[in-house]
Amino acid sequence: MDSISITGAKIFFEIPIFGGIPITETQVNSWIVMAFITILCLVLTHDLKVRPTSKRQIIAEWIVEKVTGLVRGNMGGAFISYAPFICAILGLSAFSSLSALLGMYPPTADLNTIAGWAILIFGMITYTKIKTSGFLGYLKGYTEPFALFTPFNILSELGTPVSMAFRHFGNVVSGVVISTLVYAALAGASTLLFGWLPGLLGKIPFLQVGIPAVLSIYFDLFSSCMQAFIFSMLTMLYIANAASKD
Amino acid sequence: MSNEYLELISLNVWHWVATIGNLLILTWILRKLLFDRVKKVLAERQGQVDGLYQEAEEAKDAALKDKTEYEAKLSQADAEADTILKKASARAERRSDEIIENANRKAEETLKKAEADIAQEKKKAMNDLKNEISEISVQIAETIVQREINEDDHRELIDSFIENL
Repeated sequence: MDSISITGAKIFFEIPIFGGIPITETQVNSWIVMAFITILCLVLTHDLKVRPTSKRQIIAEWIVEKVTGLVRGNMGGAFISYAPFICAILGLSAFSSLSALLGMYPPTADLNTIAGWAILIFGMITYTKIKTSGFLGYLKGYTEPFALFTPFNILSELGTPVSMAFRHFGNVVSGVVISTLVYAALAGASTLLFGWLPGLLGKIPFLQVGIPAVLSIYFDLFSSCMQAFIFSMLTMLYIANAASKD
Repeated sequence: MSNEYLELISLNVWHWVATIGNLLILTWILRKLLFDRVKKVLAERQGQVDGLYQEAEEAKDAALKDKTEYEAKLSQADAEADTILKKASARAERRSDEIIENANRKAEETLKKAEADIAQEKKKAMNDLKNEISEISVQIAETIVQREINEDDHRELIDSFIENL
């Protein structure tokens, strides 16, 4: 039986500055996903009419209205300009995870991707808090309900992006790990069961047909969309919560 | 190209920066290519719908105005017709009264004339009768007395006799 190795993204090359910046599958696939979303936008919004005649336009309007409605419902009308950002998170997360269906390495299986998003969202939460209650009010928020709570408050504040990042990363990567394990296990079981068949027939991993597809439907299709939705919901709720004075 | 792989869990600050940049760029792309475009169309549609609603409202107002005007005119026309009818019937009544009055007057005149005629005729007949009676009386007296009596004396005598009747 072959040994199973589960690794991160493949490194294509390193840019030899700042001590080497590796360009990996994560970067490349992210760009592919972004390009795909951009092309999708161009196709959907091509030749928009006041009286829609194409399904493309209806889909484009549906996306815009759904995301805008989601943002309005969760964050309130004051945050309506966040809609494209939320849509970008949703699209990037969902299509990155879904790219695994095409056999690509999903960028969301790389902790760096999600960590970057979480750091950006943490920055937005902090910015919103400072904007809402002022810098001193923001600092004072850490001492509530009383000074003893300050360390815990700092921990919970830092825990927000960390938990968001690991929740998303963990869900995607667990799918990758389980799929790989099951795939390898099925190959082994296949060899044991059908290995006695003569010639090439014995080398066909019959058990790999079908069963991984079921797993793929859960981990790639369902979980991808679910995690994208959860991540953007948390983003909206955290930012909206940061804006509320309590 | 190397065949190296990252560890399953690895952290690289440059990748964070790249990811943040990607997300912001995609946000900008979605804003420009999807949201702004669709919102523009939606706003245009809203504008058109508002325009249509306003037009409908205006048309409705105009129709209502027309209706009130029409109704006012109709009631005015009704009133006019009423007065015309009243006038006509009053004139007709007056005319018929006149006609009847005329007829009555004529009938009365005719009656009076007839009465006068009758009275005259009566008088004339009376005179005739008187003359005839006196003539007959003279003839009878001539026959009785067999002699010529002065006719004028007789006439006087008979007239006084008749007067005394």
